[in-house]
Amino acid sequence: MNFTLSLSSADLLLLLPEIFLTLWICMLLAVDAIPSHVDKKVIGNLSIVGLCATLVTLIWFYINGKTGTLFNGMYVLDPMAIYFKIFIVTSTILVVSMSIESVERFPAFRGEYYFLVLMSALGAMLMASANDLVSIFVTLEFTTFGFYILVAYLREDSKSNEAGLKFFILGAFTAGILAFGISLIYGATGKLILTDIAQAVGEPSAALIAGFLLLFAALGFKIGAVPLHTWIPDVYHGAPTPVTAFLSVAPKGAALAILLRIFFVTLAGFAAEWVWLLVLVAIISMTYGNIVAIAQSNMKRLLAYSGIAQIGNVVIGLAAANKMGGESIMFYLWAYLFANLGAFAVVIAVAHIINSEEIEDYNGLNRRSPFLAFAMLLFLLSLAGVPPLAGFIAKLYIFVAAMKAGLIALVIVGLINVVISMYYYLIVVKKMYINEPTDPSPLTVSPTMTVGISVAIAGTLILGIYPKPFIDWTVHATQMFNHLNIITTTNPFTLPFGG
Amino acid sequence: MIDAWLLPLILFTPVLGAVALIFVPNRQRFLVQMIAAGSSFVSFILSFYLLYAYDPTVGGYQFVQRFEWSENLGIAFALGVDGIAVPLVLASSILLFTGTFISWHIKDRLKEFYISLLILAAATIGVYVSLDLFFLYFFYELSVLPMYLLLGMWGSHTKNYNEMKDTQKRDFVGFIMNFTSNSKEYAAMKLVLFLSAGAVVALLGILLIYVGSGLNTFDIPTLAEHSEFSGTMATIIWLLIFFGFASIAPLWPLHSWSPVGHAAAPAATSMLHAGVLMKLGHFSIIRVGYEILPEATRDLMPIAAILCVFSIIYGGWVAYSQNDTKYVIGYSSSSHMGYVFLGMAALTYVSLTGAVLYMFAHAMATGLLFALAGWVYDQTHTRDIPSLGGLSRKMPFATGCFVVAVAASFGLPGTVSFIGELMILIGSWDKYPVQTIIAVLAIVVTLAYLLRMLRGVFFWEPGKAIPYETEMKWAHVQDANGFVNRMPLLVMIACTIYFGIFPGQFIDVIGSSVEPLLAKIHGEIEAGVLP
Repeated sequence: MNFTLSLSSADLLLLLPEIFLTLWICMLLAVDAIPSHVDKKVIGNLSIVGLCATLVTLIWFYINGKTGTLFNGMYVLDPMAIYFKIFIVTSTILVVSMSIESVERFPAFRGEYYFLVLMSALGAMLMASANDLVSIFVTLEFTTFGFYILVAYLREDSKSNEAGLKFFILGAFTAGILAFGISLIYGATGKLILTDIAQAVGEPSAALIAGFLLLFAALGFKIGAVPLHTWIPDVYHGAPTPVTAFLSVAPKGAALAILLRIFFVTLAGFAAEWVWLLVLVAIISMTYGNIVAIAQSNMKRLLAYSGIAQIGNVVIGLAAANKMGGESIMFYLWAYLFANLGAFAVVIAVAHIINSEEIEDYNGLNRRSPFLAFAMLLFLLSLAGVPPLAGFIAKLYIFVAAMKAGLIALVIVGLINVVISMYYYLIVVKKMYINEPTDPSPLTVSPTMTVGISVAIAGTLILGIYPKPFIDWTVHATQMFNHLNIITTTNPFTLPFGG
Repeated sequence: MIDAWLLPLILFTPVLGAVALIFVPNRQRFLVQMIAAGSSFVSFILSFYLLYAYDPTVGGYQFVQRFEWSENLGIAFALGVDGIAVPLVLASSILLFTGTFISWHIKDRLKEFYISLLILAAATIGVYVSLDLFFLYFFYELSVLPMYLLLGMWGSHTKNYNEMKDTQKRDFVGFIMNFTSNSKEYAAMKLVLFLSAGAVVALLGILLIYVGSGLNTFDIPTLAEHSEFSGTMATIIWLLIFFGFASIAPLWPLHSWSPVGHAAAPAATSMLHAGVLMKLGHFSIIRVGYEILPEATRDLMPIAAILCVFSIIYGGWVAYSQNDTKYVIGYSSSSHMGYVFLGMAALTYVSLTGAVLYMFAHAMATGLLFALAGWVYDQTHTRDIPSLGGLSRKMPFATGCFVVAVAASFGLPGTVSFIGELMILIGSWDKYPVQTIIAVLAIVVTLAYLLRMLRGVFFWEPGKAIPYETEMKWAHVQDANGFVNRMPLLVMIACTIYFGIFPGQFIDVIGSSVEPLLAKIHGEIEAGVLP
């Protein structure tokens, strides 16, 4: 394989968002270090400015159809990659805006926080473009590295330390699994680029199957699908809440970009074989996440288990193995972004005042802060999939995709899970709206939090009421999966009902 | 001009009212009340206009509006009404308007109450006017959540619910494993879980229709015309649609969420729940099952004809043994919904028209009963019939209204229920004589429990004077007085009696849509010869 690097100015342009963000991060570090007494809020605000500039660049790229590959196909910039990058940058902007107030309460290293968050975001952006096994490994570790530190950021808090250690050990273990999987695949095919592997696979050998299973295991760890979910509740619980919010959205989105490339491009020819693995993972994730969430008494743990269940829903879209499955996953991620980040933002806002994340302490939130209670109501119901909110369309989209692929049993399990999840989300609604507060003093929300939460509310409502632009966008961004439509043209009803 | 925007106006005025209310502080009670009343009034007036503007000589879907929503998924926001939807839209907006006034005196978080009520009513109207399966389900699901908040936040605990384990108090069928709590939260959660479970069953049927038709559209008229389902597939989809939607109807044995939901709910919520929420089930079965799967409907509707008998007798029987006014009315509603199913199952012009008319009639009659039960509860703080009694002297106006409500509920000639009931019975006679006889006999049971309640609440044992202690107990009790309290009752009475005497427009409108529907269902078998 020839690894001569040719970087023309046109190639550099493709890397512009990442290069810009890297320079901006270096600038932030300098601003934090060189002047002696800089207000850390300034760094937070500067991060948002930099991210917004990156977002604008990405949107400009998308509108003008800037695409291409770099480094002999290791790095691709296709519409799907830009889509995921926009997703990641948007989630980072929201996370930074809801962090600013929390960071003020950190005992130390306030400036570095933004540096680490932005570095992780940068890694996730590169993940969305990774098109070969080595760059998958490098970018994935790049992203996770920032999180190892961020999760253990509260040095005095034993829970945060425990979470950090747990995350680090399991993460390092996963890196080993990933490297082992990559070596097996490389050994079997002699290729590293995902599209090349697709052609080189031929008749799959045992080593190749094992390699892909290990690769899926490593990525499953990142998105937190059962049975690789065990780190999620403890790490979500222990980490500082803004970090939890970030962890629950951006890396999952980036890992899903890789999963889409692997399953829908590299392994597209073997859909009939791997679909059962994904069906199983989806069913267990949804059911386990939803049932265990019922028993939770801590808001962050509830959201952690609900996140496991949500990932189960996303895997339904993967299992559908058609273009619509890809579209539905990418739409679902937006619904999940606004609802999940919004819910964590409310948790942060409440915790700032009452210093607790227990569900019991949400009693009578409607009387203490109608805005926070209403926001939480919308976010939880969006996660549950109630119209007219984003989650409803997203779930329906995924179910339609799965139905078109003939996965009726999976849709039935998904629908049952919708009812189960309704129960525990409504328990929280009940605490907020029906129960009376023990301490009826009103809660005040800071302006930055109000803006962040309002953006999430707007996103949840707009996606639910007028999703057409977003759906059209996902349809456009997944054009690379057009070849998958061949699978869906056969009527699935010929199978289960005998014509 | 108004015709083009009629349905969006009816549907969205309450929604706009709810949105406007978000920005009004709770302190300004009068403004809150005025916004709620104003937005529901617009809907109310326009629905009356809709009834008379619908042209029965043309029939079909009228006032159609289409906005593309997503070509990729085949969803359009399509609005339109046929003759079956028109009376139900009217019932929704009447009950919303009257319910706004019935809840005028709520003290706690009035603004949030009105927001939930307006969203609930708008969602029911949305189901009736949607011509797209996606939006039908969208609004159907949307109607469930406000119910949870309305029951949980403004409801009252369901006293005596646990006593119903006692076989003497009955309804042991619907309550296997369900007697855990007397609380309103329990009732609300039960309602949401029952309705969500029913909804996802129906959604599976809808998705099967969408994918199985291969047309890539959720548009009901297109699906009705072009989709072809037959054999096992049609049967499975029909059963999913029927039982999914029948749980909200509520058909025996899926009814148990409904009476306890009534008992926990505030008056206006009960009115909308019994008046229009339950009819979403019948309406959706007609809209989806009858329109898209006519053959399966013809073959499988006998299931409803069997289950409706259980609904009628069982509901009546349990209602008779209840001591709580709201349980009596709640079970009487589920009993009366059995009549609607009988009319739907017979599939004749007269019976189906009667069934739709009876849905409207029942909405008015039950709305009145719940409004008055709510008034009595507000005044006396009890719903227990044995501890009530002798209220007629303190509240003559309410008593008079209650007498009309009872008459309307069992179908006294002169009320619109009489016409609906009679049409159901006459239309079903040829096809289901046994069920018809049982249904006629069950009217006696209806009379028995309604008159027992009337006597127990407002009057006293015959021939005996009301004891002094009882008189004293009700010393502080007030009659429904003033415009705010009397107007909603009078509106519902006026609708019951006016349409009871002049049902012409109603029957023409309903019939214009029932006829082609039945022609499609009976198909070649009885080509041209409609029963």
